[in-house]
Amino acid sequence: MRRTTGEQVILGALPLVAVIWIAAFFLFPGFTPPMSPRASAAQVAEFYRKHTAGVRYSMIVFNWFCVALIPVLMLIVERMRGMAHRTPVLRYCMIGVAGAAPIAFLTASVFWLLAAFRPDRAPELTQMYNDLAWITFTCGVPFLVAQSLFLAVAIFLDQQSEPVFARWVGHFNVVIALALLPAAFAGLTESGPFAWDGLVAFWGKNTAIAVWITVMALVLRRALPRDHAAATTAEAAA
Amino acid sequence: MTRDTSKRELRLTWYATVAFYQMYAVVFFLFTHIQPPGQPWYDPREVSQWFARHHGGLLFGLALIFALGGLSATSIGLITYSIRRMSVSRAFAYSYLILYSVSAVPGFMFICVALTAGAMRPDRDPKLQQWLYDLGFLSFAGTMGVFLIGSLVWMTAILLDTNGVFPKWFGYLNLCNALTEVVVAPSWIFQRGMFAWNGLISWWVDVVVFGLYTGVFILLLKRMIDRDGPLPAEAAA
Repeated sequence: MRRTTGEQVILGALPLVAVIWIAAFFLFPGFTPPMSPRASAAQVAEFYRKHTAGVRYSMIVFNWFCVALIPVLMLIVERMRGMAHRTPVLRYCMIGVAGAAPIAFLTASVFWLLAAFRPDRAPELTQMYNDLAWITFTCGVPFLVAQSLFLAVAIFLDQQSEPVFARWVGHFNVVIALALLPAAFAGLTESGPFAWDGLVAFWGKNTAIAVWITVMALVLRRALPRDHAAATTAEAAA
Repeated sequence: MTRDTSKRELRLTWYATVAFYQMYAVVFFLFTHIQPPGQPWYDPREVSQWFARHHGGLLFGLALIFALGGLSATSIGLITYSIRRMSVSRAFAYSYLILYSVSAVPGFMFICVALTAGAMRPDRDPKLQQWLYDLGFLSFAGTMGVFLIGSLVWMTAILLDTNGVFPKWFGYLNLCNALTEVVVAPSWIFQRGMFAWNGLISWWVDVVVFGLYTGVFILLLKRMIDRDGPLPAEAAA
């Protein structure tokens, strides 16, 4: 009888977590459509007064679950052990950014929740919390960019007859890193595709993150040791 | 595989470290004028003027950090690996890795977010601009513990190590770096003088020590990579 391994449990939980992420995304009234950086303090304050409950509930859910990405990232780190590298240095680089990316998002959720905590606060204060949330959420991509670059390099250097991940996964990660980059520049403009509500900085970036998670989950599913006996041996040896 | 190409991942990581620190210096000193820091004793109106004066440089420079700041993890990865080569417990390597990884959000994300928020709306109420200014500079200078304990962890590993990964004097240079995190603490209290966040001790002495320390460890990491022999079987795991 084949027993389920711990890694399969982590990966198996991902579709469930993804449903929660997507639900929270659409539950947050500030994403559909994304709030404009051009909104005045009065308009921002009015938004929080009108949507207090929606902001609170969606961001509580995000605060709970955004860090649920970390175990999946650790599955990638574990697969990297099998790569034909001389040293574990790229694995350490991956671990070095794996915590910070979801924590940046968690920080954004804290600012959104603060803005919604006292909707009758002075509008300028609500606008400031709202700015901090959106800048953290939109521009906070450095760890995701670095993560894709580290992974791409690791895959390109994994030169063996049966590499852990196929080379196209490396190219795919370079493309994702490039798709995430423009969001870093969202502070420079309040309108157009590069603003925090823009086609590139909002929809492009968030689509890139969703596509990355989906593709990496599928790639991981093929790369996980199927056989329980083999998995336990691998876990015990590591 | 030739001997040289087998060190590709170490060399690439090292070059990324060099590129990161060069970008960091250029952005903080030249583009944004975050270093040397703004005056802590500015009143709200002067803070507003500071944001207005550096508007473009702040937004562009901080955007570069938002884009590529994650490459800071390359030095963390290399240093963690250096500790793995030492004759000490893995606990030292993993402690260093965790301490420096968690430092990223309070240590450099907060200043980027706060000063971007200030620069984006120069017409914001000056009192709120001052709040953002304080958050930026104090989170940057005043995120202390992770670097304090991180440097002490690395120092202890170097001093205990019998594999000669780093010279012992560099262990003591770590102590100097740890001490900068001690003497910067009064910048949470004083708005003027040598202990303020732009003061003779809290900024000038600290930045010289940190610059020297960083330059030295980058060169020593290069030397470690050049000398990197076959891995002790235990360190490969």
